[in-house]
Amino acid sequence: MTRYIRNRLVSAVPVFFGITILVFLMLQVVPGTITDLMGEQGVSSAADKAALEASLGLDRPLPVRYGAWLWDLLRGDLGNSYASGKEVSGLIAQRIGPSLLLTGSGVLLAVLIAVPLGVLSAWKPGSAWDRAAGVLCLVSFGVPGFFLCLVGIFVFSVVLGWLPSQGMYASGVYAGLGDLLHHLILPAGVVCLSGLGDLVRQTRSACLETLGEDYITTARAKGLSEGAVMVRHVLRGSLIPVLTTVLTHIPHIIGGSVVVERVFGWPGMGSLLFSAIFSRDDPVIMGVTVVIALAVLLTNLLLDLIYGLADPRVRYEEG
Amino acid sequence: MKRRILPLLLALALVLGLAACAGPNQEEAAQTVVRCGLSNAWDSLMPYNSPSGSNYSRIIYDKIYDRLAYVHADGTLDPRGADSWESADGGLTALFHLSEKAAFHDGTPVTAQHWADTIALLTDPDCPTLGRGAFSVLAGTDETGAAVEGESLGAQAVDTYTLKLTFKTPTTPEDFLLDKNREYYVLPTHLIGDTPASEVMELELWNAPVGSGPCSFVSEVAGSQIVLAANPDYQLGAPGFDQLVITVMDKSNLLTSLIAGDLDYYAFGGNASVEDAQVARQAGLEVLEGTVPNTFYELMLNNASIPSAEIRRAIGLALDKDALCLQSTQGLGTPTATDLTPGTAYTSPFTWSRDVEQAMELLRQGGYDGRTYKLACTSNRSGLAALMQQNLGEAGIAVEIVTVDSATLFSGMSEGKYDMAIASHTPGALPLWFTASRFTQDNNIFHVSDLAPYTEYISQIQTEQDTAVKQALVERFQELLVSERPFIPLWFGTTLHVQSPTVEGIDYPSSSFCNENVWDWVKQPG
Repeated sequence: MTRYIRNRLVSAVPVFFGITILVFLMLQVVPGTITDLMGEQGVSSAADKAALEASLGLDRPLPVRYGAWLWDLLRGDLGNSYASGKEVSGLIAQRIGPSLLLTGSGVLLAVLIAVPLGVLSAWKPGSAWDRAAGVLCLVSFGVPGFFLCLVGIFVFSVVLGWLPSQGMYASGVYAGLGDLLHHLILPAGVVCLSGLGDLVRQTRSACLETLGEDYITTARAKGLSEGAVMVRHVLRGSLIPVLTTVLTHIPHIIGGSVVVERVFGWPGMGSLLFSAIFSRDDPVIMGVTVVIALAVLLTNLLLDLIYGLADPRVRYEEG
Repeated sequence: MKRRILPLLLALALVLGLAACAGPNQEEAAQTVVRCGLSNAWDSLMPYNSPSGSNYSRIIYDKIYDRLAYVHADGTLDPRGADSWESADGGLTALFHLSEKAAFHDGTPVTAQHWADTIALLTDPDCPTLGRGAFSVLAGTDETGAAVEGESLGAQAVDTYTLKLTFKTPTTPEDFLLDKNREYYVLPTHLIGDTPASEVMELELWNAPVGSGPCSFVSEVAGSQIVLAANPDYQLGAPGFDQLVITVMDKSNLLTSLIAGDLDYYAFGGNASVEDAQVARQAGLEVLEGTVPNTFYELMLNNASIPSAEIRRAIGLALDKDALCLQSTQGLGTPTATDLTPGTAYTSPFTWSRDVEQAMELLRQGGYDGRTYKLACTSNRSGLAALMQQNLGEAGIAVEIVTVDSATLFSGMSEGKYDMAIASHTPGALPLWFTASRFTQDNNIFHVSDLAPYTEYISQIQTEQDTAVKQALVERFQELLVSERPFIPLWFGTTLHVQSPTVEGIDYPSSSFCNENVWDWVKQPG
């Protein structure tokens, strides 16, 4: 097992660097740099632009710039934001908590709703539960997150006045758990609804597949109640695809939800990435990419390890 | 075991639910907070180190740092850091009599020496400042704004509260303020001490800046939220609130948050389109109609790829500016033949009219070969570009639309990749607000082959003191622009301002010009 983890980690290294090279190159392919946004559009002088390029090191050849960035990364330095001048690691540290809270609670809520609903709709196809699951899937897949945000704000903030429409705290700083949760409900609800469809569908189809297995017939023949069959056997047998879907949300949790964070003014990783892209803040884009890439690679490893725990048939070969 | 889990989960849900419903704590309730929305992020909190130099950054600096004057939307000026000003030495010098009540947030009085030291620091060639060009109008600096060795810098403290600025060419204090006020801030040079100029931008001070503006810094989530406290000792009066919280959020949620009561105001000046204004009115909010133009639209032309003035003029004549203006401003704009801002002291006799026949004739004269021009625009202006494409097509000019983001658009224009591009700007009251910075060797964004005729007029207008002669020069310069057509002025737009239901005293129209009178803002109770 240890050897397996070690091998997987070693094989992840070139993938990780491949991702960074790809993103770095993509940023260079896009025309324009932060210097083109300098001053009031179209009025910055060539001298001002040149000074900014020199101060940011943009006048160096591409391989030199990537090499410098990589060298800094290996020393644990993600560089400084072109826009604010602040350390990228500090910016990420400031934003990762709110993202974890928002997307994490949204995904958790989605799991708590989707798994029972998926099991119920598989257990009783055509029932009210099944139809409700179908409607939820339709909304989740068919309605863009941006629109869900606006509908949520209109209904719960403007019409009903129950929930705040923006921000993380009422007065800009932490003022108690109540205030935080009050601000969290609406954006987390949107994140939950956006991810719900995938989870419900996966759970339902995995359960339906398991229900057709011989050992389920055996369990029923032994006289187990339907509830016990569903929970002890069907759900456990369906765990791998469900777990896969849930765990693939981890990078999303860490990376934040760009649309939801942007609309609600939530200070997370998604809104950081959004601003960085529009202001051509390459170090921030690279920094967020590093975090998300690491999250994806570690999630994949975690998934493989959890498969073994969830399904005894999965074994890790030595060597 | 199973029986215990369910009550535990229910209890947890109950606790969380109750917590969610809990009201604010007492300390928070005692604070009067003004919540403001902004659709884009600012960058550095050091005002002379902003890569974008955008209005989104300036509107933050406007709160923390002090400026010499307050510029109203109609171009009139009010005292701010300076109580009064006067011209001297035949217009080569301006004396600013600073407010004796002004103080930094650490209690240190703001003196003329602070201003002079600030300018000396930023014009020091070793100081890695951005936007040093703002100082190039001062004597003793080169065209980039860097101090010239051996020459006396045009910023001196005459006495404790009198700042003397010396210009390269005669400039009235009013013209200087209209042009540069938003780029001149006083820094707490007493806190910078002996730090070498080359290391000034690395100071920790800029992470928690100390200024002398109407608000002091409290905390920041860079690019997302900034919390400022009212400066009770501000020389123009203490703002009528305790804290100002500015949050970056999507444009689509600004008005809804104002209606929902989760925002008190949004920059700039609660701008709203005609449809949004209708929604605001239906929600019971008052909407103010702006009277001073706050946007200027132009069609940038690449004079290198469209070298014929006849073809450039033909493009101007083929455009239906009325329809374009209506599409963009929904009735809140006026098509224009020049870049002179309506309502200001300078006028031009030129008027605009569409003439497709004449455009076709000019195309023949200019030898248009039927080539397809690339028209660049940002995605929010693709409808406008399509209408332009249709207008130009009626005159026989083929256009391909390229939708890009802002940085790509300006880099493409400056590299000559596009033939034309749609851009908008915040207009100014001075006659050269648009042209002076766009017809220089250093910034020849229109790729004009011979800048001399333009720079000659610009120089003459800048140095002329007699208003009547200046007006005549402006007219002749406009005549040159009309005949050469290096860019096409499209229209000036005004806006609608959705008024804050909870904050009184906001000067909405002036917000578009990057200053907000926060010292007059009063948050209403309840």
